[in-house]
Amino acid sequence: MSVRRPVVLPVAVVLVYTGLLAPLLVVIGVSFNAGGGFDFPPRGLSLRWYSTFFASTPFVTAFFRVSLVVGVLTAIGATMLGALAAIGVVRFRFPGREALEAFFLTPLLVPHILLGAALYLYFVRLGMKPSLLTMTLSHLVISTPYVIRSVTAGLVGIDPRLEEAAMSLGASRAQAFFKVTLPLLRSSLMSGAIFAFIISFSDINLSLFLSGPGTTTLPMHIFSEIQWGGDPTIAAASALQIVIVGLLILLVQRVFRLRLMI
Amino acid sequence: MQIASRRPWWLLFAGPYGLYLVILLVIPIAQIAAFSVLTYSPTRIVARELTAGNYTRLLDPYFVQLFLRTMRLALITTVICAVLGYPVAYVLARARPSVMAVGLFLLVVPLMVSTVIRTFGWTVILGRNGLVNQTLLLLGLDPIRIMYTETAVIIGLVNVFIPFMVLPLMAAIERIPPSLEEAATNLGASWVQMFARVILPMSYPGLVSGALLVYTVSLSAFVTPVLMGGARVRVVGSQIFDEVLVSFNWPGASSLALVVIAVTLILVFLALRLTRNVARGEKPS
Repeated sequence: MSVRRPVVLPVAVVLVYTGLLAPLLVVIGVSFNAGGGFDFPPRGLSLRWYSTFFASTPFVTAFFRVSLVVGVLTAIGATMLGALAAIGVVRFRFPGREALEAFFLTPLLVPHILLGAALYLYFVRLGMKPSLLTMTLSHLVISTPYVIRSVTAGLVGIDPRLEEAAMSLGASRAQAFFKVTLPLLRSSLMSGAIFAFIISFSDINLSLFLSGPGTTTLPMHIFSEIQWGGDPTIAAASALQIVIVGLLILLVQRVFRLRLMI
Repeated sequence: MQIASRRPWWLLFAGPYGLYLVILLVIPIAQIAAFSVLTYSPTRIVARELTAGNYTRLLDPYFVQLFLRTMRLALITTVICAVLGYPVAYVLARARPSVMAVGLFLLVVPLMVSTVIRTFGWTVILGRNGLVNQTLLLLGLDPIRIMYTETAVIIGLVNVFIPFMVLPLMAAIERIPPSLEEAATNLGASWVQMFARVILPMSYPGLVSGALLVYTVSLSAFVTPVLMGGARVRVVGSQIFDEVLVSFNWPGASSLALVVIAVTLILVFLALRLTRNVARGEKPS
């Protein structure tokens, strides 16, 4: 016997998903607008704003030379730092282990806009000008915790008997780790790397402070274009980001448990 | 399998990121703390003279109002997210795995797309000739001005941050055995009674962590208030941004930032205590 669920449930579900998806669909719609304004529904369809996007040096630089480069570098760095850190706190026993584990996740607690301000003042103090390096170093702080989470989840999910079996068959501890455990961690490493990339690729709060000439990220460039009024090129750039992020999340959902990432 | 060794091998693994965080998180925040007690000088920005002025300044009516407005917006956002988020979390938690996978995907993709882009979408929807006003005109009603009001900021914040509420709530509801729901309804409880007496109290830890997340990110939000509230709805985030990059009052910005960090950490601490007590209370001992 089941009790009827109240209508509030589907109403809230529709309301929330509309609120979440409407802005994305509107942005994609505006990007195909034939007119020059932010019209939705679009007044006729065209690809002109995509060609404007690819013809615009600031947009192309922000997308290909800054955001993609910083995102990939961040993904690589965060995966190395994060995987090592996760192995350190999951596989070893030492005093203060739990405190260190909590410390590793603090970047998720500190509001990013404040971290951005703090890092800006720090780099100024050190005499470091805004560059791809300072941007990557900053993005590493906020994206590594995601790798730690996914690798921790992966490590916890691996049956320790597999490694024990390898060792009882004569493998050393290191051999057992590299030949048995590491291959099993592949999907959690991959989703960690993807998430690190997305966090960097979508970040605005750090970029607000750390962007400089030639190091403006795509979200930052979109943000300033919106403030100046702008045209649907903004929507085309945004639509590209939405598609990239959507495909990457789909990939994570395929190879790993999305649940453990957030 | 955990390794306890006489030699600190763990340092080799956990050391690099630990050191990294000290250099790029702890020291920068410590520097802010130091700035916040130094004097602002128009010529040198930071003068080496100790002062409490950056903090006493926060008692000026302007700053009191700024904080009250920001906290009010964050609180309203959190409450709306909880009210809307609960039903969604419940439906997702009790859905078939395939439905849940789709629901989760549609929740996480917006969350991971840059805030700038989602807020931009909302400005198009709520703008003067946006979807909302077009619909109103079609219905023969007068268009309304929503953009650049606190309402607009709240609409933006709720939609940007609601996944932070739904995800922990969903995880908490999933852990409640469906058999408890059946027991309650078999004993004659209506769905609403069952929800209030079973789901609500048992998913409380999820509500606390969701509320904490939404409240703290709303408290330090910048992009959404700036794009949807404009100059009329100033919040702490925009004040900090202006003081760092426009007026170069770094000591002033540092004190503001430190207050927000302190508030956030206190809330995290309180939330941890709250949820721990609940977890303890649940144990049949």
